[in-house]
Amino acid sequence: MKIYIYQVFERFWHWTQALLIGFLALTGFEIHSSYTLLGYDKAVQYHDIAAWSFLVLLIFSFFWHFTTGEWRQYKPTLKLLIAQIEYYILGIFKGAEHPTKKLIYNKFNPLQRLIYLGLNLLVIPVMGISGFAFMFLNYPNTTLELNGLDIVALIHTIGAFSLITFVIIHVYLTTTGHKPLSAILAMLTGWEEVDEKSARAMVANEMEVALKITKAHLKTDENEKELLDEALEETETILGIKKEEKFHNVIANSGAGYFRINKLGYYGAVNAAWLRIYKYDSPEEIIGKHFSLSRSKEDFAELEGSFKRVLEGETIPHGEVRRICKDGSCGFHTVTMTPVVMNGQIIGVEGFILDTTVRRLAEKELLENKILMEELLKKKKD
Amino acid sequence: MKKIVSVLFLFFALQAISFGQQPDKSVSKEVQLQVKNYTFKADRKNISPVDHSKFAILQQNFKRPQDITLACLSCHTERHSEVMVNNHFTWDRQEEILNHGSISVGKKNILNNFCVGIGSNEAMCSKCHAGYGWVDTTFNHHAKENIDCLVCHDKTGTYTKGSGGMPTPQTDLNLVAQNVGLSTSENCGSCHFVGGGGNNVKHGDLDKAMLKADRNLDVHMAMEGENMSCTECHITTNHNITGKLYALSSENKDRVSCEQCHTQSPHQRNVLNKHTDRIACQTCHIPTYAKANPTKTWWDWSTAGKLDENGKIIEIKDSIGDIVYFSKKGNFKWGHNIEPEYRWFNGLAGHFLITDKIDTIPVQLNTLDGFYGDKGSLRASLEPSKIWPVKIMRGKQPYDTEYNTLLQPKVVGPKGSGAFWADFDWAKSLEKGTEYINQPFSGKFGFVETEMYWPLNHQVAPADQALTCTDCHVRGEKSRLSQLDGFYMPGRDHYYWVDYIGIILVISTFLGVVIHGGLRVFFSKNSEH
Repeated sequence: MKIYIYQVFERFWHWTQALLIGFLALTGFEIHSSYTLLGYDKAVQYHDIAAWSFLVLLIFSFFWHFTTGEWRQYKPTLKLLIAQIEYYILGIFKGAEHPTKKLIYNKFNPLQRLIYLGLNLLVIPVMGISGFAFMFLNYPNTTLELNGLDIVALIHTIGAFSLITFVIIHVYLTTTGHKPLSAILAMLTGWEEVDEKSARAMVANEMEVALKITKAHLKTDENEKELLDEALEETETILGIKKEEKFHNVIANSGAGYFRINKLGYYGAVNAAWLRIYKYDSPEEIIGKHFSLSRSKEDFAELEGSFKRVLEGETIPHGEVRRICKDGSCGFHTVTMTPVVMNGQIIGVEGFILDTTVRRLAEKELLENKILMEELLKKKKD
Repeated sequence: MKKIVSVLFLFFALQAISFGQQPDKSVSKEVQLQVKNYTFKADRKNISPVDHSKFAILQQNFKRPQDITLACLSCHTERHSEVMVNNHFTWDRQEEILNHGSISVGKKNILNNFCVGIGSNEAMCSKCHAGYGWVDTTFNHHAKENIDCLVCHDKTGTYTKGSGGMPTPQTDLNLVAQNVGLSTSENCGSCHFVGGGGNNVKHGDLDKAMLKADRNLDVHMAMEGENMSCTECHITTNHNITGKLYALSSENKDRVSCEQCHTQSPHQRNVLNKHTDRIACQTCHIPTYAKANPTKTWWDWSTAGKLDENGKIIEIKDSIGDIVYFSKKGNFKWGHNIEPEYRWFNGLAGHFLITDKIDTIPVQLNTLDGFYGDKGSLRASLEPSKIWPVKIMRGKQPYDTEYNTLLQPKVVGPKGSGAFWADFDWAKSLEKGTEYINQPFSGKFGFVETEMYWPLNHQVAPADQALTCTDCHVRGEKSRLSQLDGFYMPGRDHYYWVDYIGIILVISTFLGVVIHGGLRVFFSKNSEH
């Protein structure tokens, strides 16, 4: 199964940075007289240009991390850090599972967090500062002058060796994913191939979170944040991951559609995202209509079975279903249905849908979600 | 997001393209020039404003050269007062010298490691004195008729000086007197090219070949180029000639510099202009010296005086014709197309005086002041020390083993006078020499190694022959600056321990991941079975 984990900018940033670090190392060690390749003159010239490019990239990535909130991915955690190290030292040889799961909202394992944070806060700034000191803080700079390059050269060289060491380990550890190349391919395409268990965890995580949020949006009398925390905690307990800062905006914009259907199968409420997924313009066009409207005959028969079970009190994450939109086009989405209870009576079914059309086109295996989700539900009940 | 990415991509792509399109700046194009009082070759009109042959006073039959001087001064009144304070005439300056305070120094009383010193040898040395009749201490520096105008202003090229600075007998004084004008390179070169006893011997960068220079020898004086003369850089006003010799002039004043025309930032590339903060122009632009003719690099007086079985003077030449032994002078070494040595220098020099005690061997006859940490505020020069190319003249010369001072020998004189070149007796020569200058002499002497520094300024090479990065920014002995220490220079220096630990770290990391990966493959295969 594949999941979309790295956004376009992230991938651009990563590869540009990788290229720049490689190029800076190549030219830098020539300036260090470790070998002759481009010629000293060109090496210095290109090293300077690459340094300025790196600075520009850093500024962009700084804004990206703060405007998207992605910086939280680097918040260090000690929990499972030992487990992660033990995994690389021992577990990996015994075929043990990764102690942590990769999630959209929790991409890095504790060791990665620590190393990347060190890289971003220590090594890269130190290399940048010592590098630009090399360029500018020499005679006759009157504001601040280093009395010689010995210290900056020392720091810059130590930093360079650290980076090379990092790159070797980093590249090697990319082979410890689901398949040897899956992590590198993920950084190239954005889609990472993961094992079934991880995929299931991801989908469950997405669904839980989106459902609670959508509910919160509709039920304005309840505190949205509390619901969200509750949902995430639940998910995290199931998945065994650390309690995470919530990415309200990310999830709110995840596009989960909410619906409520009464006992007889007629739409009572839908949210804007639902309308968008089904290509309707206003709630009036669908409220009061039967849900068979948007199904093919076979699909309806299958869905009705689930619908009846929900009315009897079950919660069913149905997995992927096919819909017929207003304009007659087909699409796919996952659906979760829970009973609507009022005064102890089940009066209908509510749920949320997540559009999976794009993902389905990308990955047909997602049909298997249905089975996976049912297994998950069973486990949850146990 | 896509827009941002495409903008970013464009930015980096443009940078990448601009990489490939960097113009080749190794060939310097039009450099920034700020010339002062300089007439470009294209604008020069070689018309003399005055024809001296038409003056009646110069048409008399001159018997004495002093009469020519008086004739000159009859029109150019008061010029003598300018010349008589000029060190071309005084061979003396009041200078502030490091560790010695303000003293009177010059050719008159300073020792070098060529012909050592003028004391008791004036008759010979004054062949290059801008005066007439300096043969001993009785010479009158205050008589205006003793000025030699012609050595600097002769336009015929026939004027030659002999003993005591008097014109040689075959000189046609009338011809010379009627053909005078502004000084040319030939005039300057008649002395400055032949210091130390022969062409290019002393400086290594002042050579007769410069009168017919091509671009490779000297970009400024090249005949096919601007064909500049000495005085175009050594700007002269009222007989005060700028561009004192660093080897003898300690104070940093009246110097000539490249920057006076070329500015502090003559390069197109900033990284090169930044180098001028601490590196003299000469360092890169005079990659070698003694390009056309050899220069003397070693003069060992201690072996002088050997004669053949007939008591005749011996002269031995090596395979390329350089004299390596001469009975009058001792052993020599010569250099052709030499890479200079490099020293920090802030424009101030110190001197070893005849009264100074020897405390270092080799004895430093002059010291160029400067070090890496000197950024101009530490010394009176107020200029930062820069790396300069120098010719270092080395040799052995007599010293007093008792008093530990360098000694003044008498070398020139008739047989029986004690002159070394006539009697070949060191004890007598030193006795006479020291007696002449009133120097204490114990009678016991030996020979000590000495070094003298001659900063290089002339015979600037074309830009494409200038030093490149890796002439200096390279490890170890290959670096021209390998002798300079006390500072970190990229490319030349590195911390051995950092490199060793770094390389071990990288290699062991690499081996570590290989082993780790191998074990993973091994265990996964095992679990399959």
